[in-house]
Amino acid sequence: MPVIKVNKQDFCKLVGKDLDWDVIEKKLPMLGVGWEGRSEEEFEVEVFPNRPDMLSVEGLARAFSSFIGVRKGLKHYDAKPSQLYIVSVDEKVSKVRPFIACTIAMNVEFTDDFIRSIMQVQEKLHVTHGRKRRKVAIGLHDFDKIKFPVYYTTKPKEFKFIPLGESKEMSLEEILQKHPKGVEYGWIVKDFEEYPILIDAKGMVLSMPPIINSIHTMLTESTRNVFFDMTGTDWKAVNEVLNILVTTFIDRGAEVFRVRIKYPDRFVETPDLSPKEMRVEYEYINRLLGLSLSKNEIHQLLGRMGYDAYDDGSYARVLVPCYRTDIMHPIDVVEDVAIAYGYDRFEPELPNLATIGQEDEFERFSTKLRNFMVGYGLQEVKTFILTSKKKLFEKMRMEEQDVVEAENPKTEEFNVVRNLLLPSLMEVLSRNVRRAYPQNIYEIGDVVLLDENSDTGTRIVRKACVALCHSKASFSEIKSLTESLLRNVGVKEFEFVETSKNFLIEGRGACVKVKDVELGFLGEVHPAVLEEWKIEMPVSVLEMDVNKLFEVAKQS
Amino acid sequence: MEDLIEKLHEYEKRILVALKNVEKLSLNELSKKTGLKEGSLVKACGWARTKGIVDVLEEKEIFVKLSDEGLRYAENGLPEKNLIKRVEEGVTSINELKNSVENFEIALVWAKKNGWIEISEGKVSLTESGKNALSKTFELEKYLSSLKTSAKKVEDIPHDVLETLKKRKLVEFEKKTKFEVKITELGKKLVPLIEKDVGKVVTQLTPEIIKSQKWKGLKFQKYDVKLPVPKTYPGKRHFLQEVLEYIKRVWIEMGFKEMKGPLIEVSFWNFDALFQPQDHPARDLADTLYVKKPKKGKLPDDEIVEAVKQTHQNGWTTGSKGWGYEWDEEFSKKLVFRTHTTALSARTLAQLRKDVENGCFPAKYFAVGRVFRNETLDWKHLIEFHQTEGIVVDPNVNFKHLLGYLKTFFEKLGFKKIRFRPAYFPYTEMSVEPEVWHPEHKQWIELGGAGIFRPEVVKPLLGVDVPVLAWGLGLERPVMLAYNINDIRQLYWNDLKMLRESKIWLG
Repeated sequence: MPVIKVNKQDFCKLVGKDLDWDVIEKKLPMLGVGWEGRSEEEFEVEVFPNRPDMLSVEGLARAFSSFIGVRKGLKHYDAKPSQLYIVSVDEKVSKVRPFIACTIAMNVEFTDDFIRSIMQVQEKLHVTHGRKRRKVAIGLHDFDKIKFPVYYTTKPKEFKFIPLGESKEMSLEEILQKHPKGVEYGWIVKDFEEYPILIDAKGMVLSMPPIINSIHTMLTESTRNVFFDMTGTDWKAVNEVLNILVTTFIDRGAEVFRVRIKYPDRFVETPDLSPKEMRVEYEYINRLLGLSLSKNEIHQLLGRMGYDAYDDGSYARVLVPCYRTDIMHPIDVVEDVAIAYGYDRFEPELPNLATIGQEDEFERFSTKLRNFMVGYGLQEVKTFILTSKKKLFEKMRMEEQDVVEAENPKTEEFNVVRNLLLPSLMEVLSRNVRRAYPQNIYEIGDVVLLDENSDTGTRIVRKACVALCHSKASFSEIKSLTESLLRNVGVKEFEFVETSKNFLIEGRGACVKVKDVELGFLGEVHPAVLEEWKIEMPVSVLEMDVNKLFEVAKQS
Repeated sequence: MEDLIEKLHEYEKRILVALKNVEKLSLNELSKKTGLKEGSLVKACGWARTKGIVDVLEEKEIFVKLSDEGLRYAENGLPEKNLIKRVEEGVTSINELKNSVENFEIALVWAKKNGWIEISEGKVSLTESGKNALSKTFELEKYLSSLKTSAKKVEDIPHDVLETLKKRKLVEFEKKTKFEVKITELGKKLVPLIEKDVGKVVTQLTPEIIKSQKWKGLKFQKYDVKLPVPKTYPGKRHFLQEVLEYIKRVWIEMGFKEMKGPLIEVSFWNFDALFQPQDHPARDLADTLYVKKPKKGKLPDDEIVEAVKQTHQNGWTTGSKGWGYEWDEEFSKKLVFRTHTTALSARTLAQLRKDVENGCFPAKYFAVGRVFRNETLDWKHLIEFHQTEGIVVDPNVNFKHLLGYLKTFFEKLGFKKIRFRPAYFPYTEMSVEPEVWHPEHKQWIELGGAGIFRPEVVKPLLGVDVPVLAWGLGLERPVMLAYNINDIRQLYWNDLKMLRESKIWLG
């Protein structure tokens, strides 16, 4: 999750109050950000994805200011109407990157703190709300370099302009291949025949969204007026990002004008900074929080979170500020009441609910089995269910089988799910060759098999695996243990049938059967397999299906 | 003196008697005289030494013996010597020599280094010193042949010869320990007193001695109870598994029922049913491990799928605005390694749906299970780990109750101080991050997330909007703290030394 850096002095100025470190450090987390640490002058906080408005220093300070009661209630934002500024949207963008929202901020005073904040919020919004620029990309331009109307259109790959960071013209195709931003974000547009371009009435390029701006409209030290373009694939998200940015400019004293967006079929004016209304039942708030707050108390608490609220009978009419993108349901307002009230002020209590606890019977059987194994002097181990084909098949001298495979593992060492428990135990023995012997170990753990009949295409099978590893480990020892185990779960009739497995010594492997049910196999591990695992000690093993064992145990 | 004699082991007595008139014996000789094995003797001599009745002289000696290569040289002669002999015999072209002299490359290097040969135009000729060398036997050759018959002590070989042997990898070193036992004055005094006892003392009581009642005429050897003994390793549970079972017990004590479900999960249950939009970053390949084989799973009843779809798109009848995007049914079929046990809670809510009319509330469920993240395994990150999950479904539960359950659970785990912070999860509102105070590590520890499921989660699954308290807590962190483990991989490393010696879980 994104972490932002904030200058304390600048923050206090925006909050409207001089604050001690103690207050910032204790109270900010209670507003719902993660405290990451501080230096002499700066602090860092983690902003949760539901509050992109707090990704800017201005937004964070605004929220904190009302939270600690300096400036409570809804802050009014206004964008002045204007007929002069038109952005015309070409039909051609509808398949590539259909939406654009714009605005103009006049008389911007760019202080160092503000520049840092804008760069930071732009970067973080691109990553989070903008989904790495795919959903929303932000462009800021020197307004005075632009001749209106501006056209949002697409251009062929040969079309050229000078992108930021370059001194010569480059074709759109070259930009995708060579420009660092083209390399980073080219994947978003590369499959289209033409790429989106924002171009002014004189034919000067503003930008190639979502990749790179043109050098022509670059912001400089003398820039006072800024043109914003937000392009993207989601109209709602484009406007949300625009509002988050515009309000930070207004907080810094800029004057904002609306832009008319001329879509082929309609006119829209952006930004829309008016608050949205939401009706929330007072009783709903108190019931979910376990409180009995009066209407007035609720209004006060909402004021602390930047809302205005009005009494409307059993409902509160809540005005939600234009930058709050996360308020989708009355429950979101309830949470803000809880935050304003203070999570630390809620008294934890247990409800009076009579219920009966219950362990799953198969899980209980597994636990009993685990404890029973200890009676044989075995050490329990616990291993990963993800493994590799090398460990599962190659090192066991087994033919490859169909197993569950991961699509995007970060390492080859963990890219399939085991269908046998024994390789995991072999790995444990392999890792412990320097530890004292005997090493008699067991695990009762899960493997996963493919199963077309299941809704997940897979089925979990619980296995019990024992490996006896010492200088005299033998078939008779593991057979004796197997018999004892079966007798102790009440199974009196069983038979051992000679079986051949590549990882067992020929003639020293058996499967154990109860009537027609095959429970598993046992035997002495083949020295060629021991060599694969670099184990220089005999190993005899048992692997049994616990699900089947449970069934036969219940029937016995 | 009496006391000392009482404590003497039978073996010690035999050693003293063996040393009676000879002062000093090697281990081998002592073994012959006492009839004891060398291993037992070394141990017994150790005890005897601490009692001051013998002295043990242990001397480490390093022996030099020929390597395989050295042995070949000793048998066939030095390669460089063989080379000049062949040249003398008239074979001078390099190509021919290459074929007829073993280890030709080595021979060439050394012959040149010694100044025995000159090479021009592919021909080798002998120098004056080369001719002289033919008839000489060098130190190196002498030692090679004498080492062939027996290993020598390091100090018996001149330094420069040894260096050459080492450099040319012709020798190997072998450490041997010389072990001699000498009787002390005290020991000598004891001999007459114990001589008659030898053979009349019982060390190991055997069934035969008991049956035959022989013990009646014998004395029992007194043991030194302070002597070290071999280690005993118990059959034992894995500490992590013990903690998991303890946590289960805690939930059962608190009246929760266990839920279980698949490890390979349909995206629908892992994400969509939990109101996580399909473009949510948590669903990226970078965080979530997807399944290549099999690729897709099946969705539940149309009624539930349609409700989830509508809720994502426009909020359905939940009172929400929804995410406002086109929900893709196929995408929700993709299989994932479940990223949280919360997927189980979603399945459980859908299961409860048919019982809502029949009064299924209050319903309390828990799970302890394995979950997966697409990480690179390192000291801080695991690809698979464990979570414990809980839900409480009842029309009358509220936020305070959520905090109450969490507090009670953590108290049962031994954490007395707990605090709650606002947090964010797509499927809960209120969302809270519980933190517990660890008194030894003196820090607040984050243990996962909790909250009340959003109506957008509950209503499509359960059919009605009822508060559902929910939490998913990580288990590895508290276990690491309890066992002072810094590298998270150690939990699944299965180092037998650690498992055998770790304290059992006392919860």
